[in-house]
Amino acid sequence: MRFGGLTAVKDVSFGLEPGERVALIGPNGAGKTTLFNVLTGQLKPSSGNVFFKGHDITRHKVFARTQLGMARSFQITSLFTNQTVRVNALIALQGTQKGRYDTFRRLLGDRGMQAAAQVLLESAGLWELREEVVNSLAYGQQRKLEIALSLASDPELLLLDEPSCGLTTVESAEITSRIRDLGTKITVLMIAHDMDLVFGVAERVMLLHYGEIACEGTCDEIRANPIVRDIYLGTRKSLGATGGAGRA
Amino acid sequence: MARWSAEPGGADARMGEHRLAVGARRVPPSLIEIGIPVVVISALVLVLPTFLPAFVSSQITKAMIYGLFGMSLNIIWGYAGIPSFGHAAFFGAGAYASAILILKVGISNFWLNLLLAIVATAVIAAILGVPAFRVFGVGAGNANPIYFLLATIAFGELMSRLAIAVRPVTGGSTGLSGIPEPDLGLGFRVTSFRFYYLVFVTTIICLFIMYRIVNSHYGYALRGIHDNERRMQALGYNTWLYKYTSWIIAAVFGGIAGVLFAYYGKTLVPNTFAMITSDIAFLLVIMGSTTTFFGPLLASVVYVGVEYAASLYLRDRWPLIFGAMFVITIMLLPEGIGVWILKLWKKVIRGAVT
Repeated sequence: MRFGGLTAVKDVSFGLEPGERVALIGPNGAGKTTLFNVLTGQLKPSSGNVFFKGHDITRHKVFARTQLGMARSFQITSLFTNQTVRVNALIALQGTQKGRYDTFRRLLGDRGMQAAAQVLLESAGLWELREEVVNSLAYGQQRKLEIALSLASDPELLLLDEPSCGLTTVESAEITSRIRDLGTKITVLMIAHDMDLVFGVAERVMLLHYGEIACEGTCDEIRANPIVRDIYLGTRKSLGATGGAGRA
Repeated sequence: MARWSAEPGGADARMGEHRLAVGARRVPPSLIEIGIPVVVISALVLVLPTFLPAFVSSQITKAMIYGLFGMSLNIIWGYAGIPSFGHAAFFGAGAYASAILILKVGISNFWLNLLLAIVATAVIAAILGVPAFRVFGVGAGNANPIYFLLATIAFGELMSRLAIAVRPVTGGSTGLSGIPEPDLGLGFRVTSFRFYYLVFVTTIICLFIMYRIVNSHYGYALRGIHDNERRMQALGYNTWLYKYTSWIIAAVFGGIAGVLFAYYGKTLVPNTFAMITSDIAFLLVIMGSTTTFFGPLLASVVYVGVEYAASLYLRDRWPLIFGAMFVITIMLLPEGIGVWILKLWKKVIRGAVT
């Protein structure tokens, strides 16, 4: 992927197995979000292809990829801020349903959708806040809703862009267990700077550096890898601190 | 399930929710809050012409037509977040289509005429929509509608130039005149007294359909696009298709208002397409508020009243008064008449309950 003279992501080739949870780490400007945008269709790659479930989706639009079973969350919380939590869930849920083009039946009168929204919001722990307008929610709650909306389409592949960005340690731990609870039905690829989250969730870690995959491996391999320390994790002292918390 | 009776009230749910323990448990409060005023006002409008002088009924007819026009713009502006400066292109298209069909083609039946005018408007909207949404831009917060606004201004002017240029069909700059009374095919003449009811019924039907559209699954998708288009795409919505179809839907209702206007005024000039007419819809939406469904209709009553008063006392100062209406609304009622009245009404009804 090139922007003018700048090559943001280059020669990145990787596959995800169904049910796998993979973390994508790397310093700022490594091209993580660019790679995400290529995968989700926000950007068209200058060269190369993206395959999903055997389809070449390189030329697919964002919404078409979601219809195939891909979903993403956003680093910068991206919600329907003037609507209530419940309406957010309803809008998210009907995105992959036939009824989304229904111009006559009332959305708020659709009991099937209401029930589905209740399930979605209860699993996110937001059901009590269903009548709150999103603007008035605390940031941590908005992040929870952000992930809940990404899960609304019942995706097979979930792309999370820094799910715990800006959260407190406690909230971050909640997100960690939430992602872990997704089980093996959903393949997860996430960008994260939060090493507790990475080591708590991921089965495989990829390190992106200057637009290339510098190395990849299991959490333990990554922790032990001298290249990773050099590029990303920093000194042994700080590694010990974060790594310890990750295991706890 | 008591939960369902606590539904937020349709179009006005966006204003936040005020649930009331009114009446029986099964009756949603929105029905009382919205339903009663709608029925009362409809009944009032229904009986008014029998004891008011004809010129007042005529003004109410005009208010209904403009109200329909303003509300059609509100579908794309208030709900989908697509402001258009060229909505008169469709108002004019409907008006000219029906006038041309009567005067040049010879289709005098009102219903057939209306149907063909709707088709003509939809086709024009479908054609103009393609270039329009190429410049609209996508995304939450970073959509810059300025190019879109400029394009829509151009559409209105384009249509009015076209109306001037195609003289044999449109009558050039003198326009079309001598539009007869509508022929409903029911064997009676449609006097201006009966025309009032024709407009009333057409408006009510259109309002009902529009109300269902904006509160439907599709309507909530439009609200989602208004709030956050990028997220909508990530959720699987083909947002271009939604914007494009809502543009056509709004155009069709604007076109219906145009058809009624052609019969109402009996004369059409190319200005029907121009900025000067688009501004009316724009003012009605701003004055009526983009967050309520009925706002533009309420604003229309005020607008027509002011227009009438101005035509009596300050005939030469109309542009000034028109501009002043914009300014006064923005200074005194930035949220619009619709929100103001709704708040007032909710206060009244809550006072009555407690």
